[in-house]
Amino acid sequence: MLNFTPEERKITLFLLGLALCGLVLNNLVKVNCRIERMVYPPVQLAKLNLNKVNLAELVATKCVSVKLAQRILEYRDLRKEFSSLEELKEVKGIGEQRYGKLKELFFIE
Amino acid sequence: MKRPLVILAVFYCLGLILANLMRIKFWLITVIATAIFAVVILWGRKNWIFLTGVLSLALLIGYLSMKNAWVLSNCHIRKFVTYKDSSLYWLNGRIASQPEFKNNHLWFILRVQQIQSDKVRYKCCGEVLIKMNFEQELNYGDNLTLMGNLGRPPSFGRSQGYRDFLARQGIYLIMPIKDHRQIIRQDKFHGVGLIRGCFWLRVYLEQVISRYLPPLPASILAAMVLGQKRNIPWLVNNSMVKSGTVHILVVSGFNVGIVAFVINLLLKILRLGRKARIILTAICLLIYCLITGASNPVIRATVMGLVFLAAYLFKREPDIYNSLTSAALFILVINPRQLFDIGFQLSFISVLAIVYFYPKLKALVHLEDCRSKILKFFAESCLVSFSAWLGTLVIIALNFRIIALVTVLANILIVPLATLITLCGFTLVLSGLIYPNLAHLFSLPTAALITLLLNLNAALIKLPVAFFYL
Repeated sequence: MLNFTPEERKITLFLLGLALCGLVLNNLVKVNCRIERMVYPPVQLAKLNLNKVNLAELVATKCVSVKLAQRILEYRDLRKEFSSLEELKEVKGIGEQRYGKLKELFFIE
Repeated sequence: MKRPLVILAVFYCLGLILANLMRIKFWLITVIATAIFAVVILWGRKNWIFLTGVLSLALLIGYLSMKNAWVLSNCHIRKFVTYKDSSLYWLNGRIASQPEFKNNHLWFILRVQQIQSDKVRYKCCGEVLIKMNFEQELNYGDNLTLMGNLGRPPSFGRSQGYRDFLARQGIYLIMPIKDHRQIIRQDKFHGVGLIRGCFWLRVYLEQVISRYLPPLPASILAAMVLGQKRNIPWLVNNSMVKSGTVHILVVSGFNVGIVAFVINLLLKILRLGRKARIILTAICLLIYCLITGASNPVIRATVMGLVFLAAYLFKREPDIYNSLTSAALFILVINPRQLFDIGFQLSFISVLAIVYFYPKLKALVHLEDCRSKILKFFAESCLVSFSAWLGTLVIIALNFRIIALVTVLANILIVPLATLITLCGFTLVLSGLIYPNLAHLFSLPTAALITLLLNLNAALIKLPVAFFYL
């Protein structure tokens, strides 16, 4: 009845397996919202936390010089923490263009 | 001589390297090459004369093609612009690449046809990199008139890397566009219809991916399936460089293999003949190469795939070294400067290292005697990763100043996962095109696998002595 070649069998099994995984995950996401956090990558994997970042990490981004990185950290220490990324603009040396780059690298928690 | 093409390619590459090191005049080498050619024609019946002559010719042709590649034609736009020039220029030309929005700028390459300065207009050729401060809907082949300053691409500190990289692509000038008034769009389309179609398809497929996945997994899948790396966050790219697994974020031979396999299978189901199947698969591979941007790894994989398909078509035994050499020659004949491109070097050396070291290492550890299938598979994966790591170690250390000791372990764990993600990615894209409801179902496992990959990578680089900078 199912006269499949070995390749066709592999593909059929792969598609069915994928659909099964999708169904199970879909159900789990609906039932438990914690699962959704496990399925989708958290922001920490893609961006640095501006309130926890250190000097070496800031400089490693190659978007700021050592001096500017120090100024950002001084500003953070002064205010205890950043409440929004927009506050970066208040640091001397960060204009619209640099802010545009930095907001892609950092997040606030 | 078992593989003449390999020997010729080695001598051709030596010629390219010599051209970068020596300053012997182009015409002097031409005279020597002509003399050798005449000797081979006259006394070529003697085996040793023929062999020495042909190898010397390959070397000298390599030398000449590299020297020739650095010579700009008289109408090249670089010759109209002096160093530190602040004049205002009008450029007329067409877009030669698909415009990409990256780092808050829209970037594209303009193939210039006319340049105007001080009301004097000249016909010219060459390409200019355009950097726009705002987003505008532009496409490959659009005819534009741009007004602005022309300057050399920036160099960062002492490093000339970016400038050299662009020079290897034949780009010596950059034009920043800050205002809408600096750009006038003409109506005519001046491009190749097939390339425009491929770019349109790429944009559409990217939209399909972003429809079913959040931005981060979508950016990773777009890189793995379509070769579009521009949306990958810096942190992800950096952590993959640290673990030595950044190669999974480019389209490689594996992706080309999947495309060939799927197309061949679909055509098989349609009961097409062997020859028709091979020809149609080859056409699809070329289209996939264009969709993914025809970067060095994709061209390598596509040419190798085409050589293998040709071997099947003519019922000949395919040889991996010959197909790899054909791919290298194909790229280097078009642009000899690519030999010094890090992407080109890594792409070819990693494959060469796997092909060369893997069978030797396999024989060394007597893997054939192993009876457990799982253990054998695991050991084979280790050896493939180790071979690639061994081959690329020096180049990575010299260029990136990093030695990642975790690479072998990371590759053993991450490469199978990346393989699965690529398969899921192709399934997601195809189902998104054919039956969107099913794509929703496939998107969740794909996202979960990408999350697992990122977490695994983040955990691996946190291991002690995972990597160190030189």
